[in-house]
Order: sequence, then C-alpha cells, then structure tokens
Amino acid sequence: MRMSLDVVLGGSLLVFAAVVSVVVILPGVTISDKPSADYRPRTELENGGRDVYVANGCTYCHSQYVRWIDWGLGAERVALSGDYIAEQPNLLGSERTGPDLSQAGGEHPDDWHGAHFHNPRHTRPESIMPPFAFLESNRLEALIAYVQSLGFKLADARMERQRKWKKPAVEAFEAGTEANIEWLHGHVPEPWRELPNPYPTTRVGLERGKRIYQGFCIGCHGEVGDGMGPAAARLYPPPLNFTALNGRGATGGILYYQIMNGITGTAMPYFKRELESEKIWAVGDYVAVYFIGESDADTEPKGIDAAYEVEEEITYR
Amino acid sequence: MNSPESAQVDTQSHATALGYMISAGVWMVIGTFAGITAGIELIAPDLLGNIAWLVFGRLRAMHTTIVMFGFAVTMLIGAAFYIVPRLVRVPLFSEKLGMASLFVWNGSLLAGVVALSLGYTQSREYAEMFYPSDIGVVVAFVLMLWNLIVTVMRRKEPVLYVSVWYFVGGLMLSAATYIIGNCMWAGWKGAIFGMPDAVIHWFYGHNVLGLLMTPLAVAAAYYVIPRAAKAPLYSHTLSQIGFWSILIMYTHIGTHHLLQAPAPTWLKLISVVDSIAMTIPVATVLVNLWMTAQGRIGKLTQNPAARFVFVGTIMYLVVCIQGPFQSLPIVQRITHFTHWIPAHAHLAVVGFVGMIGWGTCYFILPEMTGRPIHSKRLANLHYWLMFMGVVSMMVVLTISGLIQGHAWYHGEGVYRVLPSTFLYNVMRVMAGAMIVVSSWIGLYNLLRSIPQAGGARASAGEVAS
Ligand code: HEC
Ligand code: HEC
Ligand code: HEM
Ligand code: HEM
Repeated sequence: MRMSLDVVLGGSLLVFAAVVSVVVILPGVTISDKPSADYRPRTELENGGRDVYVANGCTYCHSQYVRWIDWGLGAERVALSGDYIAEQPNLLGSERTGPDLSQAGGEHPDDWHGAHFHNPRHTRPESIMPPFAFLESNRLEALIAYVQSLGFKLADARMERQRKWKKPAVEAFEAGTEANIEWLHGHVPEPWRELPNPYPTTRVGLERGKRIYQGFCIGCHGEVGDGMGPAAARLYPPPLNFTALNGRGATGGILYYQIMNGITGTAMPYFKRELESEKIWAVGDYVAVYFIGESDADTEPKGIDAAYEVEEEITYR
Repeated sequence: MNSPESAQVDTQSHATALGYMISAGVWMVIGTFAGITAGIELIAPDLLGNIAWLVFGRLRAMHTTIVMFGFAVTMLIGAAFYIVPRLVRVPLFSEKLGMASLFVWNGSLLAGVVALSLGYTQSREYAEMFYPSDIGVVVAFVLMLWNLIVTVMRRKEPVLYVSVWYFVGGLMLSAATYIIGNCMWAGWKGAIFGMPDAVIHWFYGHNVLGLLMTPLAVAAAYYVIPRAAKAPLYSHTLSQIGFWSILIMYTHIGTHHLLQAPAPTWLKLISVVDSIAMTIPVATVLVNLWMTAQGRIGKLTQNPAARFVFVGTIMYLVVCIQGPFQSLPIVQRITHFTHWIPAHAHLAVVGFVGMIGWGTCYFILPEMTGRPIHSKRLANLHYWLMFMGVVSMMVVLTISGLIQGHAWYHGEGVYRVLPSTFLYNVMRVMAGAMIVVSSWIGLYNLLRSIPQAGGARASAGEVAS
C-alpha cells in the first residue's frame, strides 16, 4: 500500500471511528442504567462532600469497587454496575494505598472520622494517609457525611446502628466511671465475661502485645493506657482509661471480646478483621499486665493446654 | 527510499522544535520534583504539615499531568517539529504558528496544574485538568496538526517515511481521543455518568499511552535508529503492519484497566484478547528497528543519544511483555491495585517514552545547531542516572506490589500491609532521586547546547522565540 497523506489520515480516522463505535458508544448505550437494589440518591450535603473527595484526590489512594476476591472493609458486598448510576465523574480508582471505601459508610461513628481526618495517625498509628486538618469545618462535615453514605442503603443501616448505640454509650460515660464500666461489661455475652485469658503471660507475648498496641491502639488509649492519646480530644465518649479497670473485673475474656468486636457507637473499632486470635490475646494481656495492673492469664478454667504452650514463670512489674 | 534523508546542513531557526524541547526539559524538572515530593509524603505523611495545595492527592495529579503531558509528550512533539519537515524536505510551514501552539500548550498545562494544586480537578486519571485547559490543549493540538499537515502537503519528497505517519496520525487521533475522553461536551464536569464514564475514561487513559505517547516515541525511534546505525530501514511492509495494527489493537484495550470492575463482560473479553494481540504491533516495530541495526549495535551504543533511543526500545519490549501478562485476569488478582502498576507505568513512561524523548533530543540537536551537544559526558551521566533510576524504581515497586498483592489475596487488610511497603517506598524515593538529578543535567545540557542560549536566556519556555 502506498502511504500517502490521505491514506494515513483518512485510514486512521476510519479505524478510529470504527473502534470508538464498538468500545465507547456501544457500551454507552447498552450498559443498563437501572439502579441496584441497595442504591439511594445522595443528599446535597453528601454531594458536597463528594466534591471535597474529588478536589483532594482521595481517589488516588482509595478504590471504590469491591471484587469477589477481596477481604477486609466492605468485602461482604461485591460491586454492581447499578451502584454507579449517579457517579459523575466515576471514582472507581486504580490503586489501593488505603482500603476500598465503597462500603465505608457506618463503619465508624462521625467522631472517629473527625479525629482520623484531622490526623490519621491519631486513630491509626501506622497510617500513611495525609492529614486533612486544613479543611474548614463545613467542608469536613460534608466530607464525613459523604463517607458515611458510601454503601447507600447498607451504609444507612450501619449508621442507624451507630446512632442507636451512641446514645447509651454517652449516657453511660456521663454517669461516671463505675457506671460506664458496668455498662460496657454488661453488653459482653455472659460466657465471655467469665472467661480468663487461657494462655500464659510470657515475655515474648508481652513484646508482641506491645507492638500491636503501638500499631493499633496508642493514638486513642495513649502511651500509658490512660485514654489520653492525641485522638482523645476529638472523641466522645473518649477512649477508655485502662487504669480505671483495676479491680473492676475486666477478665481476659472481656478484653478479648471488646477488642474483637469493638464497641459500636463509640470510636472503639472492631479488630477481628485485622488481628488474628493470638494477637488479640497478646494485646489484651499486654493491656492487662501493664495498664490495668492485673492479669488472669493462664488461670482456670482454661481447658487442655495448647500444644505449644510454655511453662514459663514470668515476673512482671 | 526506506531511510530518512541523509544529513544536509540547514539554516532554519527551528525555534518551535527547540521551544518544545526546552519546555519539556523544564517540565521534567518540575514534574519529577512533584513526584519525589509525593513519594516522600508516602514515607513521612506529616512532613509537609497541612499545606492544602501540597497534599498527596493533589500532588499526584500534578505529577502525572506534568511528566506525561509536560515532559514526555512535549519532548516528542518538539522532535516532530524538526523531524517531519526534515523528512519531507521542506521547512516547517510556519514557525510563528508553531510558537503559537507552544504558547497555548504550555499555558494550558500551567493553568491546569495550578488549578489542580488549588483543588480544581476533573478527577479522572490523566484527564484531570479543568475545562479551560482542556480547550487549550485541543486548540494546541489543532494548531500543531495544521502546521505539520500543511508542511507535509508542501513536501518535495514523494514518499512519506513511517515516522511521518506516526507523528501526524498519532497527533490527529490524540486530539480526537482527548475530546472524547474528557467528555468535553459535558463542560466543567468533564465526565458522564456511572460505568459508561469509567469505560470512556479508560478508553482515553489507555489512548494517551497508546495513541499519543507510543506513536510519537516509535516515530522518533524510526528516525533515529536507521540514521544512527547508518543503514536503510529493514522493511517497509513491517512498518505498515506495525502502524495499522497498533491503531486497531491499542484502541480496543482500555477496559483491561477495569477487568475487576462491573464493566460489560464482552468488553473485558475484547480488551484481554487484544492486549495479547498487542504483541503483533510491538514485535513488528521492534523487529524492524533491530533488524535495521543488526550488526551495527555498536554504533548505537557508543553515542549517548542513540543509546538512549536504543535502550528505550528495549524498555518498550519489557513493558509490552509485562503488559499482556498483567492483562490476564488471573494475574490481575494479584497485581491490580498494587505498586506493580506504577512499576509498569514508570518503566513505560520514563524508560520507554522518556528515554526515547531525551535520546531524540540529543540526536537532533547537532543536526539543528550544526555543532555537537554541549557535553557528551554529561549526556552519558544523564543516561546512566535515568536508566538506573527507572530500572531500580521498577524493581523496587514490583517487589512491593507482589508483597501487597499476595498479602491482600490471602486476607491481610491494607492497613496491616502498610509497614511491609515502607522500605520499598523509601527505595522508590532513592531511585526517584536519580531521575530527578538526571532531569537537571538534561535541562542544563540542552540549554548549553543551543547557540547563545547561555545564562540570561536560560529562563524556561519563552526562551526560543
Ligand atoms: C496517601 C494515600 C491516601 C490518601 C490521599 C487518602 N487516604 Fe484515606 N487512607 C489511606 C490509608 C493508608 C488508610 C488506612 C489507614 C487509616 O485508616 O488511616 C486510609 C483510611 C481511610 C479511611 C478509613 C477506612 C476504615 O474504615 O478503616 C477513610 C474513611 C479514608 N481513608 C478516607 C479518605 C478520604 C475521604 C480521603 C480524601 C480526603 C483520603 N482518605 C485520602 C490512604 C490515603
Ligand atoms: C479510635 C480510638 C480507639 C482505638 C484506636 C482503640 N480504642 Fe479501645 N476504646 C476506645 C473507646 C472510645 C472506648 C470506649 C469508651 C467508653 O465507651 O467509655 C474503648 C474501649 C476499649 C476497651 C473496653 C474495655 C472494657 O472494659 O470494656 C478495650 C479493652 C479497648 N478499648 C482496647 C483497645 C485495644 C487493645 C486497642 C488496639 C488494638 C484499642 N482499644 C484501640 C477507643 C479506641
Ligand atoms: C519523567 C519521569 C516520570 C514519569 C514520566 C512518571 C510518571 C508517573 C505516572 C504515569 C504515574 C501514575 C502511575 C499509576 O497510576 O499507576 C506516576 C505516579 C507516581 N510517581 Fe512518577 N513519574 C516520573 C518520575 C517520578 C519520580 C522521579 C518520582 C520520585 C520518587 C516519582 C514518584 C511517583 C509517585 C510517588 C507516584 C504515585 C504512586 C502512587 O500513587 O502510589 N515519579 N508517575
Ligand atoms: C502491549 C502493550 C501493553 C499492555 C497490554 C499493557 C497493559 C496494561 C494493563 C493491563 C494495565 C492496568 C493494570 C491494572 O490496573 O491492573 C496497564 C497500566 C498502565 N500502562 Fe500499560 N500496557 C502496555 C503498554 C504500555 C505502554 C507502551 C505504556 C506507556 C507508554 C503503558 C503505560 C501504562 C500506564 C501509565 C499504566 C497505569 C495506568 C493507571 O494509572 O492505572 N503501558 N497497562
């Protein structure tokens, strides 16, 4: 073929037009615009928050579609095309420096987000998310409203649960330490309340517990476990002061359960997705030994000792 | 007739070509600085405190916009403004028009980047610039095309060499892609709704790479390699196959960015099949270039300019082996969303397009000015820093991407894996530092190679007028 200017320009335009009609126009007209069952339109405030999300490039670190192979935040619900009908521009994202946010709504109460956006290291000590303390309060409020709407009706259901438990948590906190702890422990299922930590306290275990504490808890509960971490100023009810648990029956089982399950309505997140059982026991025992000052580790009833358990006598404090 | 015209001393001013190339050098200095700053923020997120316009999300968009459009594309457009007239043996139709296009181009990019830093963005990767800049970019494309097409129409040379097809065809389709991809009929939003928006977005995103950068870089390589090897082009037929097949295949594969998103299955299927078929255009181009240089590789590697281009073609091979591989759904389960992708992206845009850009610049500078480049040693240093920088960045990010991908696949949360990537983020910055320094050397060497371009005139874009 002789490649004259006409052939080059005309030919490539023809090819291009053909391709555009197949891969752009055809999908454009055939993709269904039916909303998925969980979809609901966003409010004006939430849309304003979406603009803040766009302007600050959250999309470069956070994707917004869950795949069937995913674990972690929102993995219970795989993305559907009908979730996106109102997205303009799309915010699907191409990288996960941070977690997927398509189901972030209602995972945490608003005060957690306030502290997190102010400085992510306050609630998540090893985070590399930028601080957004420069956002004016109205834009921050909108951004939080947007994040809490991620997941549509599913997010609303989670937010409902957050609100439902926020009230009694605040009331309990305001009723004083004694009442608060009673309230907290009252919601832990009976068998857990009576369960001691079945594993012995070991030097290695405490070291591990410390590492977990520094990576996950220190920003809220503070360096010495007094609940005065840097996030505390923005959380209500504030993080628990562990020293107050001394003599108040905080068994290994209670600590385990609270860490595993979190306390919905308060900023205390659940950690069952991120920490395996061994790590939860370890951090629980670390808190018990160093901050509460009493540990029931390795006391009866504890069943048959696990195969690896060492008979190490350890003196702490 | 299969090889570019042999050298003739020419007396043109080449203001346009030089203007574009100098702008590219300046943009690279700024853009890589933004890149390394973003990289540092990933290690020390509180370092820059709460400076809104330097927050990672804005800096990253500034980085990609500047290095891709400001540096990589601009450098090769500069080359086009020299190479196309040269190949058709007439002067550029209008240097004035050329300078006007440069002015509009740089102005739009600058406005777009400043707007990004202020938080005005259309958010879709590589289509972030706000509406006024979009209009400016399209106007600039039209001015460039007008200039080049009229030049070609006035040609004395009856046969159009393959570089001309790629330069003119690539720029024309890029202008079209830019309008469609930025949804310019949608005005300020620059997007339509939902999954169709994602489909258009990645149709565009991949065409920026495949219809704009790749053809420009291939065109430049088609010019430099036969000349540097002093051999006629191996095969005219292969160049034709390469040209038409890239137009057909590359434009189809944007959806491989959405393989795990709820996009239509048939579209995903097309994208995977054609991603694999991309080996055809890539192989034809590389076989053609390398057979041309067969037995004369020594000639290419002695000289830093030709070495840049030759090694750029090797990078092209690596990128395009990696590309089809990571288009396979089973591979994407691990690689998607991880650092693996920026590893591929940097190897492609820095190693392939960027290195061919600088090589072409060094190669045509002496032809334009009639004297050797300022310093061959600096050019060598520039080459080594850029090469080592991009290769080490690619290795480091690939490792880190595999760590992330496998950990996530087996159930670790993103937060848990962050500490495992810290070291690689540090090494990425170290690798990036080499590229940053190479950009300073390149710009200095370029400015010093232009007659009377010393001291006072060294101030950026408006120089070459
Ligand atoms: C540099 C990348 C980066 C950017 C930019 C970024 N994030 Fe994050 N984000 C992270 C990382 C990493 C985490 C995980 C650690 C944490 O929770 O801080 C995270 C966590 C989150 C979480 C908590 C998810 C959960 O429930 O555990 C939310 C919500 C969030 N980001 C929202 C945003 C918003 C909104 C923006 C934009 C204003 C943003 N992020 C910008 C990296 C980023
Ligand atoms: C975002 C802040 C935050 C983080 C991070 C956090 N906590 Fe909490 N924690 C709280 C708040 C708030 C409460 C409940 C206070 C209340 O209701 O009075 C709480 C309560 C608890 C309790 C309940 C004690 C009881 O007796 O019922 C335990 C145990 C606990 N946290 C342990 C941890 C551990 C271990 C970690 C780290 C793995 C951690 N927390 C991380 C904020 C946090
Ligand atoms: C001319 C040189 C460069 C070019 C063409 C270039 C190009 C790119 C591109 C295309 C991306 C987007 C990647 C993706 O979305 O997958 C990107 C991201 C990035 N680049 Fe560069 N880059 C260059 C130099 C640098 C340098 C010197 C650094 C310094 C460390 C750097 C650091 C980064 C960072 C940190 C990101 C963000 C990655 C992320 O989001 O995780 N780049 N660059
Ligand atoms: C045979 C050719 C190629 C194929 C099949 C291919 C394939 C891919 C795939 C599948 C992705 C997305 C991966 C994911 O998100 O999981 C990707 C990303 C990317 N590719 Fe390629 N690639 C090819 C060549 C190139 C070339 C030549 C360039 C540059 C000129 C390039 C630049 C990029 C960039 C910058 C990205 C990152 C996009 C983002 O921001 O996510 N690729 N490529």
